[in-house]
Amino acid sequence: MTAIDPIAAGAAIVAGLKKAGIDFVATLPDEKMLEVIRAVEADRQLKHVPLCREEEGIGICAGAYLAGKKTAIIMQNAGFLNSCNALTTTSLQLQIPILMLIYYAGDIGDRGFTTLGAVTEPVLQAMGFRSYVLRRPEEIDETLAGAQILADDSKKPVAVLLTKSVLGVK
Amino acid sequence: MKRFECLQAIAPLIKDELFVTTAGGATNEWNAVRPSDGNIQVKTLGLCSSIGLGLAIGLPKRKVFVFDGDGALWMNLGSLATIGLHQPKNLIHILWDNKQYESSGGEPTVATAGTIDFAGIAKSAGIKNSRAVGTVDELKDAVSFALNNDGPHFIAANIEAGRAEVPPLKYDELENKYHFIRYVEDTEGKSILRLPQSASYLLK
Repeated sequence: MTAIDPIAAGAAIVAGLKKAGIDFVATLPDEKMLEVIRAVEADRQLKHVPLCREEEGIGICAGAYLAGKKTAIIMQNAGFLNSCNALTTTSLQLQIPILMLIYYAGDIGDRGFTTLGAVTEPVLQAMGFRSYVLRRPEEIDETLAGAQILADDSKKPVAVLLTKSVLGVK
Repeated sequence: MKRFECLQAIAPLIKDELFVTTAGGATNEWNAVRPSDGNIQVKTLGLCSSIGLGLAIGLPKRKVFVFDGDGALWMNLGSLATIGLHQPKNLIHILWDNKQYESSGGEPTVATAGTIDFAGIAKSAGIKNSRAVGTVDELKDAVSFALNNDGPHFIAANIEAGRAEVPPLKYDELENKYHFIRYVEDTEGKSILRLPQSASYLLK
């Protein structure tokens, strides 16, 4: 696997989002994704919407979709859990796509969040969301583009779980 | 004042503005007063202000109304700060404050309901054009001002509890979404629901 530093990882992920057609990104920080969020903020082609709470981001992205935007949300898995009602009663119920880039806290080898890590994939599965764990920097473009096609075509949320190795963080 | 008489009073001021209406009585009443494919119903309590913000950012030249309730706004109070951060000029957020969860049986929203200054909260969150109204005439003035001046605008309307007897909605939320998107496409001259071409067509 190619090693990557956090700034290069942020640039690569933003480039991948843009190649996937994303033009609207809501975010709430996790320290592991700081460089990704900074790269979103710095990019003139992306509309960046910082959030108070992840669930409002599901609503903001839904509204932006109704206006013709291609949307993504960047958050930690705790934020995904915060968003489950909106994902159910807005995204699923109204069939609105959103690409979710979720930092996988409590992933294999990650200290401090094992409870969160343990419930993440089962909850994604229970909600019927397709999800992909992104570990290798060289797979960023293909995974983001493919996940966005799935979201757009199925009109449902699709999750890409970001891990330490793809973010270049310890 | 009752919500229904307020809606009847502001309907003549409306042209082609878009409406995001909360999971509550305001949705059925507004669709009875002003049926339009430019109205979209929200099913997640609290999310209407966020959906309205996303729509307003996505369509910056179109006026977007949000009809919120006090129970819903308590659930997503942070949305006021996000609106305050982004300052969408085209967003008009009306709070119908009846101080209760009317659609859930009429329990009071929080113990201090009735003493909360929602317009003050909105102003502190960065929404300068923020005011409270207690009469139909004040509401009409506030809506006219909002339609003719840059926002964001927040109008806290203190209303009596009680729902008007109106017909059920014509569409469920999914059919509503499709009608709404087609309406936006037609009135904005843009394509939103692009259908994918199959590979065999693309090859030719």
